[in-house]
Amino acid sequence: MRSSWKTKLYHVVLWTVALAYFFPVLWIILSAFKTKNDLLATPPKWLFSPTLANFVNLFGRESFWPTLVNSLLISFLSVSIAIVVSFLAAYALSRFKPVGTDFIMFLILSIRMVPAAAVVVPVYLMYAALSWKDSFWAMTLFYAMFSVPFSLWILKGFMDGVSMRFDETGLANNASRFHIIFKVILPQVKPGLIAAFVFNLIFVWNEFLFNFILGGRNTTTIPTLLVSNSYQEGGVDWTFVASLGSIYLVPPVVALYFFQKYLLVGMTFGTVRGEV
Amino acid sequence: MSFYNYSLTLGRPPRFLGFKNYLDYLENPDVWVALSHTLIFVFFSVVLTTFLGSLLGGLFWRSSKMPGRRLALTLLFSPMILTPAAIGTFFRLNYDPTFGIFGYLTKMITGANIEYLGTEGWAFAALVGVDVWMWTPFMVLIILAALGSVPAAELEAAQIDRLSLWRQFRYVVFPHARFIIILGVILRTIDAFKVTDLVYQLTRGGPGGTTEVIGVMMFRKAFEAFSVGWTSGLAVITLFTAISFTAIFLYLLNMHKRKKIG
Repeated sequence: MRSSWKTKLYHVVLWTVALAYFFPVLWIILSAFKTKNDLLATPPKWLFSPTLANFVNLFGRESFWPTLVNSLLISFLSVSIAIVVSFLAAYALSRFKPVGTDFIMFLILSIRMVPAAAVVVPVYLMYAALSWKDSFWAMTLFYAMFSVPFSLWILKGFMDGVSMRFDETGLANNASRFHIIFKVILPQVKPGLIAAFVFNLIFVWNEFLFNFILGGRNTTTIPTLLVSNSYQEGGVDWTFVASLGSIYLVPPVVALYFFQKYLLVGMTFGTVRGEV
Repeated sequence: MSFYNYSLTLGRPPRFLGFKNYLDYLENPDVWVALSHTLIFVFFSVVLTTFLGSLLGGLFWRSSKMPGRRLALTLLFSPMILTPAAIGTFFRLNYDPTFGIFGYLTKMITGANIEYLGTEGWAFAALVGVDVWMWTPFMVLIILAALGSVPAAELEAAQIDRLSLWRQFRYVVFPHARFIIILGVILRTIDAFKVTDLVYQLTRGGPGGTTEVIGVMMFRKAFEAFSVGWTSGLAVITLFTAISFTAIFLYLLNMHKRKKIG
């Protein structure tokens, strides 16, 4: 048995590690509440009188609100499409096991393993040829496509864990396929659905390269705005970066807090399960 | 496209080149340099994240009763769910020689004024540092899962038998945890291999091309120099590299599944 002061010390150490780890992010958040002079002060200021001016300034920008709306809409729409598609696909692949299922899964996963810069060129040429550049729906569709491999992997993993008996019982009792899929199987893979949904949301919310290349004025999301608008009057506009950055990171961090137990499944394409 | 001379700026139809683009990679020193940067980056990033991840993972293993554990883990894990593009931008500020907190801290500790992102060598180290910071949480997560897969009963038995800590690790923990750790390392390798936005935001491949990795090179050739055909060939090569990594990953996964069933 550990004595209690030892346990306490252990916990203090863990908390210190966690806080030290978070420090660079925390510094950005703190910077968002500083005036330009405080932000660029040498030596860096630990104590300062907080100001909301950066946020007021940010909200006043023409580009801010459309970007926020874009980010939210594109993430939710594309991930919803992707989840529906991959849920049905996962059912088909898991239950009917068409010839070459393993190969299909392999191909689909490798799409996500390729450096984005290698994929972006052909997609760019295709979008240019179809004049889909800077179109809201084209962007949404692209992200839906982008989210399918990951969701399919997670959902198939979960679905393989549900016994075929459920389907057989359903069929023997004259239930329709739809009934089996939505009333019998769906509730059992709920954790998979949640994990796929939340982590794809984070991925799309975070995605920069494709949005930067394929998007334009109508489809700018927050990371792109953060990168492309950060230069002003010859230098980097740090108050803008810090305040927009702070707003940007709130949803992922909150999601991480509430959906922590799905994180592992999410980060390993559903191949590793376990409690954290 | 990779067999063509295809440029977006010339405004003439692509010309068929056969394997000329591919031959060019063999002769072009830039490609080899970028490739070696990528491999060095992958090596350091993977080794350091695995090492630090094991350390922190081991540290957090017995923490299930800690007050506020969920919040602490959220703070710890947050770097990996933020976008590399934003992280790159943040760290440009943190590394800034005059205003940045890191520049300040090194000056305070060592007295030297180091321009992290502007000096060859340091820029690469700074890049690896950010990547390690971002992805250590992933390895922590993997290590925690791996340690979680060790049956408590076996560990207790080992403790009752008074096995030394090293032996407990070697004969009880490691055989169970091994598989998940290997998967984690492979996923990490794939991710490190495809690093692009972080580098692009942090250094744009500079100074003097010392941080130009393969992803950044492709991006710049395609969208700054507009030589699409040339880039496509490179993309095909990275595609095959990535696919072979994926194949290894799945091979191990399937082998493990079979062992479990058999």
